[in-house]
Amino acid sequence: MKWLKRIAIVLAALIVLPVVTLLILGQRSGAGQMHASAEISASPAQLWSWIDDGQRLKQWVSWMVEARAWDKPAGVGARRVLVMRDENNGGAIMEIEGTCTEYSPPSRLTMLLAVKDAFDGQQLYRLTDLGNGRTRLDVESRYHLTNPLARLMEPLVTPQAEKKLVGDVARLKSMVESRAEVR
Amino acid sequence: MNPPLMARALLLAVAGDDQAEFVAGDLHEEFVFLCQTRGRRAGRRWYVWQVARSILALLGLRMRSGEVAHVFAATALGVAIPLLLLDRLWCFVYSQIPLKDGLHRAPGFLAANVICAGLCAAFCGATARSLRRAVAIAAAAALAAGFALWNSAGAAPALYVCVILLIAPASSLMAWRRFR
Repeated sequence: MKWLKRIAIVLAALIVLPVVTLLILGQRSGAGQMHASAEISASPAQLWSWIDDGQRLKQWVSWMVEARAWDKPAGVGARRVLVMRDENNGGAIMEIEGTCTEYSPPSRLTMLLAVKDAFDGQQLYRLTDLGNGRTRLDVESRYHLTNPLARLMEPLVTPQAEKKLVGDVARLKSMVESRAEVR
Repeated sequence: MNPPLMARALLLAVAGDDQAEFVAGDLHEEFVFLCQTRGRRAGRRWYVWQVARSILALLGLRMRSGEVAHVFAATALGVAIPLLLLDRLWCFVYSQIPLKDGLHRAPGFLAANVICAGLCAAFCGATARSLRRAVAIAAAAALAAGFALWNSAGAAPALYVCVILLIAPASSLMAWRRFR
């Protein structure tokens, strides 16, 4: 009986403490927000095609299987579907519906991204011309997880998502600059 | 006059807490007698043969005594299942990343797995009532940790695998020493 009590106390502590910690961390001001930036040796116009063109987009966004073309000429209100492979869910394919809410080539592109019963949010790509053929790319994302358990896990999810975003932007920089060198 | 070391170790490993000392003692007496009457070589051969033919019977006795069930249940429930559950939890966390990610795991998550494996194995080790059972639980904890790693979806770097496989049996034995 003494051991059962001890086990119950340990199990309760193992569950309650992390849950309370996650709930507190979930209230922080930057919850669900990510940012990545890089200075890339390319002009804004050159860089724009890597963001706007689906074929190029899938080259630097890891785990993207397909980026379908805009359903109408690119601009505010146009939609496109991003198809992702979720290796952590047995390789399941997931379609993310993106709606363009801001389209100002070659400086700003904002997309609303949503998957029913999973998340919704927006991703902003901002390109700033630094002169001398250099551009600063900022990617800012804000997501809201709709699944209650996922919302609880948000303090763990967001840092990993930001790490992935930073890795993708670094890949874009490396790809763009290596192509620029070839030319 | 000592019997073959490997055969004796195997006998002690296979026989349960209740049987090991008696069986080993009886075999040793007979071994000494045979060495004196028929020579050392014949005695050693006889000892190895006796151990080999006793393994299944001793294992059967051990299973009936519930010792194997205790070791198996303690390590399966205490080490393998928590590690597999943590792996599923990390899969869920990574699966919630809006633009998805691969199977690598952040060092913090791997550290949580190591701490969990250590604590759970220590808990299993604390339930052992003898050194032999503690050793059996430690070995089973390492096997259970290996099984969990083998079946986990996340990538397991070599250093992480080594740490888990060492920490599980080590913490189990340390807990037994602390709480015996």
